[in-house]
Amino acid sequence: MAEKPQPVRVLYCGVCSMPAEYCEFGPDFEKCKPWLIHNAPDLYPDLIKQSNANEADKVTEQLQSTGMSSDGATPSAPKQEEVKRLPGGKIKKKEKQEVVIEKVIRNKRKCITTVKGLELFGVKLSDASKKLGKKFATGASVVKGPTEKEQIDVQGDISYDIVEFITDTWPDVPDTAIFFIEDGRKVPAA
Amino acid sequence: MFKKFSSEEVSAQNQVKASVQRKIRQSIAEEYPGLEPVLDELLPKKSALVVAKCQNHLNLVLVNDVPLFFNIRDGPYMPTLRLLHQYPNIMKKFQVDRGAIKFVLAGANIMCPGLTSPGGALDEEVEAETPVAIMAEGKQHALAIGFTKMSAKDIKSINKGIGVDNMHYLNDGLWKMERLN
Repeated sequence: MAEKPQPVRVLYCGVCSMPAEYCEFGPDFEKCKPWLIHNAPDLYPDLIKQSNANEADKVTEQLQSTGMSSDGATPSAPKQEEVKRLPGGKIKKKEKQEVVIEKVIRNKRKCITTVKGLELFGVKLSDASKKLGKKFATGASVVKGPTEKEQIDVQGDISYDIVEFITDTWPDVPDTAIFFIEDGRKVPAA
Repeated sequence: MFKKFSSEEVSAQNQVKASVQRKIRQSIAEEYPGLEPVLDELLPKKSALVVAKCQNHLNLVLVNDVPLFFNIRDGPYMPTLRLLHQYPNIMKKFQVDRGAIKFVLAGANIMCPGLTSPGGALDEEVEAETPVAIMAEGKQHALAIGFTKMSAKDIKSINKGIGVDNMHYLNDGLWKMERLN
């Protein structure tokens, strides 16, 4: 390793920005195809064959559609929709009802306990923060957390008493739905 | 980790002190000895090094607005994939089989069977909690950067569950952020 290793130049796809060899796993391989045929024909030898075949298909399709114009159009439309939905990723999951408690260390020996997800149980956050503040005799406030969600920040480390308090004050919240975050992992409180 | 990552998550950007800069350089050089000859080019001594603090105790090391390294809390510095593609031999490599690629590219952690199957490969020397490059069967370039949860030997013998945490993968938020401004 005496001489400088030269930086490797990687061919990135102009459409999806990934290295060209990963296009097939990218978000939209279909869109990358024309770019790939043009810029990296060696990587996907099948692609060119396919595109040729596709063109042939198109010609035959055209011939068919001229024959029976109305019938040919309808079955192809729903098919396209189905395909489209899949690469877009999963359909948004319904939000799980759970309360997540995290301790954030603020100043070496001071910390803040954040409580997320109480609103999913129909608890008014402003009321809840007031109650928490009163119970633990600390400051508690409703704060906009990441991803635009509101959460309650309570000063001080109350992570152990808080579970009992939540289940006592709001019986709707089962203690199985309360989680701690420890070392970035979710740990059930109960 | 970077699945949803954008410049909005950067809470503060600081030009760091020379002493901190030296420390960062040193730890990078220790972690990646193969990078040492080009380190002067990557992190020029003259130009300012900027550290961007982000949410979840994440730090990005920027040079000329380009993210080059990241670390979590006080963990080891890891190169971004764009940098790793340029200097692929600086990290220990793991290889996953073809079936795992699409999951890894969706942000999944790397499970042991994907590494031990015929399409996968392991670097025997890797201990737990070290950064590794994740390569893929039949591909030249890395597709992710991971942080091992078990040592390579354990991965082989246990062969179950998460072997490597996926830190940064192709087309995630950090990948898309070529420059930060």
